[in-house]
Amino acid sequence: MDFDLGEQAASLRSRLRALIREHIADDYLGAFTHDPADLDVAQRFCRTLAEEGLLTIAWPTEYGGGGGSVWDQTVVREEMWAHHEPRGAQYMGLNWVGPAIMAYGTDEQKRQHLSAIAAGEVIWCQGFSEPEAGSDLAALRTRATPDGDGWRISGQKIWTSYAGMAQWCVLAARVGDGERHEGITMFLVPMDTPGITVRPIRSMLGHHHLNEVFFDDVWAGPDAVLGGVGDGWAVIRKALAHERVGIARYARCERLLSALGAELAPHWDALPASLHAQWARALVQVRVARLLAYRTVHAQATGEFPDVLASAARIAVTQCDQQVAEVLFQAVEHESLDAGPSAPLHGAIEDHWRYAQAATVASGTIEVQRMIVSKALLGGRS
Amino acid sequence: MNPVLPDEATEFAAAATKAFAALGGVDAARRAEDDPTTRTTEVAPALAALGIDDLDPRADADSLAAAAALCEAAGRVALPYPLPSVLLAPGDGRPMAVVPDGRARVNHGDLFGEWRVVTLDGRCRAAAATQGDRLATRLGPFVADLTPGDELGDAASDRDLHLALTGWQVLGTVDRAVELAVDHVSTRIQFGKPISAFQAVQFQLADCAVAVAGLRELACYTLWRLGAAPDRALADVLALRAHALDVARSVLRTCQQLHGAAGVCDEYDISVLTRHVQPALRLPWSAERTVTELAGVIARDGFDGLFPHGGAATG
Repeated sequence: MDFDLGEQAASLRSRLRALIREHIADDYLGAFTHDPADLDVAQRFCRTLAEEGLLTIAWPTEYGGGGGSVWDQTVVREEMWAHHEPRGAQYMGLNWVGPAIMAYGTDEQKRQHLSAIAAGEVIWCQGFSEPEAGSDLAALRTRATPDGDGWRISGQKIWTSYAGMAQWCVLAARVGDGERHEGITMFLVPMDTPGITVRPIRSMLGHHHLNEVFFDDVWAGPDAVLGGVGDGWAVIRKALAHERVGIARYARCERLLSALGAELAPHWDALPASLHAQWARALVQVRVARLLAYRTVHAQATGEFPDVLASAARIAVTQCDQQVAEVLFQAVEHESLDAGPSAPLHGAIEDHWRYAQAATVASGTIEVQRMIVSKALLGGRS
Repeated sequence: MNPVLPDEATEFAAAATKAFAALGGVDAARRAEDDPTTRTTEVAPALAALGIDDLDPRADADSLAAAAALCEAAGRVALPYPLPSVLLAPGDGRPMAVVPDGRARVNHGDLFGEWRVVTLDGRCRAAAATQGDRLATRLGPFVADLTPGDELGDAASDRDLHLALTGWQVLGTVDRAVELAVDHVSTRIQFGKPISAFQAVQFQLADCAVAVAGLRELACYTLWRLGAAPDRALADVLALRAHALDVARSVLRTCQQLHGAAGVCDEYDISVLTRHVQPALRLPWSAERTVTELAGVIARDGFDGLFPHGGAATG
C-alpha cells in the first residue's frame, strides 16, 4: 500500500505550477467572465502548454501526445482545476473529443482534428443534452436525414457549454425511426455551418457557459460521421469512459479551504468555534473525495472499467464541492455577496459557490450516479 | 500509488472472519452479554489461535495492515473483545487505551487488571481495574472505569495506532450494517414487492455505500501515513476518527431505519452492532470534541499529507 504518486507526478505538478505562476494572474477566475481578455488568456495558455508538450501529455505518442499515464492526467486535471481551469473550454477537446476521434475517426478526421486540438487552437462543444433528453440521453430527438451523399440535421440541443465560442461541435443525432440507442449517430460539425443558431442561457455560472443550440436543416457531409451510422451510443460510451473521474473539484476546494485562514486573519480566530469545526470537517471530506477519485484512477490504471467506483467518487466529489462552497460562504459572511478582485480570495469564493450549485447536475446528475451505485449493491434484487 | 491492502492482510482478515463465524458471528456478542466470561473462555482462545500474540502493529507496515484488517473483521461481528487495546500490549504486556482527560473509562476494562491509558497529549499512565466491575448497560455492557496510577511517560505513537485501529473496527461495523440493510430490503415484501424496489430506499443505500467506501479509503490512507510520517500523523488519525464517527452516525441510523421496527430488536444483528459499537464512538471523545481537536491540530500543523496544496494551517 502506497499513496505516494511518485517523483514524476511531483515534478509534473511543480512544472505546471511554475507555468501557471508565470502566465496566469493570481486573481484569474477562468475564461468565462465579463472580461473577454480572460478567454484570450486561456487560449494563449493552451498554446503555451502545447509548446511545452503538456497539453496532450496523456495522449498516445502516435498522435503526438506525451504517452503519459492516467496519473499524469490526474495531476494535470487537479492543477488546472485548482487554478480555475486556465485551459478554458479546451479541456473537452483534450479529454474526450480527441480520444474519441483516435478510437473511431477516419484517417482524414484524425489528420484534420487531432493536430488542431493538440496545438491548443480549437474549442469543441458537445451537442448531447436536449430539452427532453437530459439524464435520459437515449431519448434524444435531433434527427439526421440522408440528403444526397450527406445529411440534413434538425433539432435542438441545450445546456451546451461554450457553444458560443466553439469552432466545432460533436453532435449526437438520430438516423432512421429507431428508438432509444438505435440509430444514434455522432457527427463532427463546424459551428459556422449555416442553420446553426446559438442562444446563450442566462445563468449563475459564467458568461458563455450554458447555451441552447438550434440546428435548422444543417448540412453535414458524409465525412462528418464519427464511427459508423447508428454506432453513436458506442462512441458516447467510449467518450464517457475518458471522463469517468470527472472534474477534480476537490483540488480547488482544498486550495480555497487552505487559503481561508490567511485570507481572514486576524479575524479567523474570532470565527465561531462551530465554523472551525465545519472547516476541519470540510478538509476531511475533501481528502475522502480525492481518495475515492484516486481509487477510480487506480482501477483505470490496472485496466478495469470502474463504473460503480466512478459513480461513488462523483457523488462524493460533487457533494464535497457544495459543502465546501457553503463553509467558505459562512466564513466570509456578508462579504459572500461581493464579487470580483476586491472580494475575498479575489472573488474565488463567490465564483466557487455559484459553480458548485451545478456540481451535482453537470456531467450526469447525482441521482443517476445513485442509481448506478444502488443497482450494483442490490445486484438485480430490486 | 497503490491504495490496496497487502494480500497478507486480506488473507489474515479472511481467516479471522472464518474464526469469528465459528464463534457464531454476532451471537458471540449476545452470549457475552449474558455471560461476560465467554470473552475469556471463547473469544480469547479463538484470537490466540489466529496468532494475535505474535502480531505487533508497531513492527512494520504489513503487520499494521494485518492488525487493521483484523479489527475490521472484529467490527463486522461486534466481537466482544478489546482488540485494538490488546494488539498494542506487546512490549509492555499491558493492554492500552486512549481515554478522555480526567476519566479512565475503557471498553472491556474489566478483562485485565493492569492497563496503560493515554490521553490526547500523549501522556501515558498505568491504570488498574477491578475484575467484574462493569457498567453493564445496554450501550456499554463491558465498559469499566479504571483507577489511574503512575505516570509512564510518552505514548503518542501508541495513541495514534489505537485511534487508527479503532477507526478500522468502526469501518467493519458500518460495512456490515450496509450488507445487512441490503439483505433486509431485498427480502422484506411490502405493497407486494421487495422494499428495495423503491427508489427512496435505493438512494439511501447508495449514500450509505458511498460513505463507507470513502471511509475505507481514508482508513487505508491513514495506515499508510502512520508508516510514512509516524511523527506527524496526529491530524490524520483524528481525521479518521472524526470521519468514522460521522459516517457511523448516519449509516447506522439509515440501516436501522431500513430495517423498520426490526432495527431496534436484538434478534437482528443491526441492533446488536449498533449498541456494541457505541463505546468505540463515544470513547475517548465524541465526534464534536474530536473535530474541535482536529481543527486545532490542523491549524497548528497543517493537513497537506502528500497532497501539496499549500498547507491548511491557518497561522
